[in-house]
Amino acid sequence: MELTEGDLVRKCQNGDLGAFEELSAKYYRRVFMAVLGVLNHRDDAMDVAQEAFYRAFKSIKRFEGGSSFYTWLYRIAMNLAIDFQRRRKRNATELTENFDDAMFAQGEMGSDPYREARDRELGGRLRAAIDGLTPDHKAVIVLRAVEGLSYKEIGRIVGCSEGTVMSRLHYARKKLQEKLGSDL
Amino acid sequence: MMESCANIQERLGAWVDGELDPVAGERVELHLKQCPLCLGEKGRIERINSTLKNTLEAEAVNVPFAPFWAGVHARIVEERSWQVRVVDWFRLTLTPPRLVWAIPAVILLLLGVLSLERFVPGLGFGQTNLASVESIDGHGMNVALLRESQTKTTVIWLFEDHEGENENTPEPAPADPAF
Repeated sequence: MELTEGDLVRKCQNGDLGAFEELSAKYYRRVFMAVLGVLNHRDDAMDVAQEAFYRAFKSIKRFEGGSSFYTWLYRIAMNLAIDFQRRRKRNATELTENFDDAMFAQGEMGSDPYREARDRELGGRLRAAIDGLTPDHKAVIVLRAVEGLSYKEIGRIVGCSEGTVMSRLHYARKKLQEKLGSDL
Repeated sequence: MMESCANIQERLGAWVDGELDPVAGERVELHLKQCPLCLGEKGRIERINSTLKNTLEAEAVNVPFAPFWAGVHARIVEERSWQVRVVDWFRLTLTPPRLVWAIPAVILLLLGVLSLERFVPGLGFGQTNLASVESIDGHGMNVALLRESQTKTTVIWLFEDHEGENENTPEPAPADPAF
């Protein structure tokens, strides 16, 4: 019988590392993506995402189930990513290259080379443009665009009201449109 | 009357995200049917969302679980081993066979520390501001030594032995104590 997420969380709370491995396998990509969206650097994102899972395991006894496990996990990850980003500024050039490579790898499997080449180029520019936003603005746009989370969930994760999420998203999108101009 | 583009664009992102209430959403929809400018804006918002998602997914798809988990696991194990080491140390130290040796060892250590004062004056162990009184008997006279450690004052007090006299009688104070 397959265990539910609640069962796995309870097992983790009793120190079951195997259960935590199952939960990690389920969420690691999504957490990595969200962190990468904020940090814009693959190695840093990997490090912060791993740290987030480690801290989640360490403090899972304090998780009371008031929100879903992934909201709680994202909260840890995004707070770490935002703190990390505030401490450290990175050059976006290397990142854009990373993303270009990734998009190229994906594009090879696609069916419309022209469109995919254009998306790849836009993806690189978009990443560079996002890098110019503040960590708080990055967090809301990444959580919305990548995860499709509701404003309420985003507010819980980043620790602000739904209204603040809405205004941050509006501001971030305006800024990105200004930077990308006719590319969009 | 059609709502202004500025008003619509304020709420357009929330509408794309499905976060507007039905009434406000209907207004936006109505406006979009008649306004190519705002329709273009809607397309740009959607393109930002989809491009960002595709870009990040393309990056994440190349991340295998095994090395990721290895990194998390290493942090957990490192943390656990530190805790386990502390617990083990206490377990080993506090077992009865070790305590048998530990108790005399602690007593000896305390005695050693306290006796240091004798060899190294001024260490502060057992030093107080109170004067100490020592009494010895010398040639039929009682000698009292009064030492005050802070001012390093010593008072020598000689007085006669009244032993054999009525012990209930309070001892008279010497008229002229010798210093």
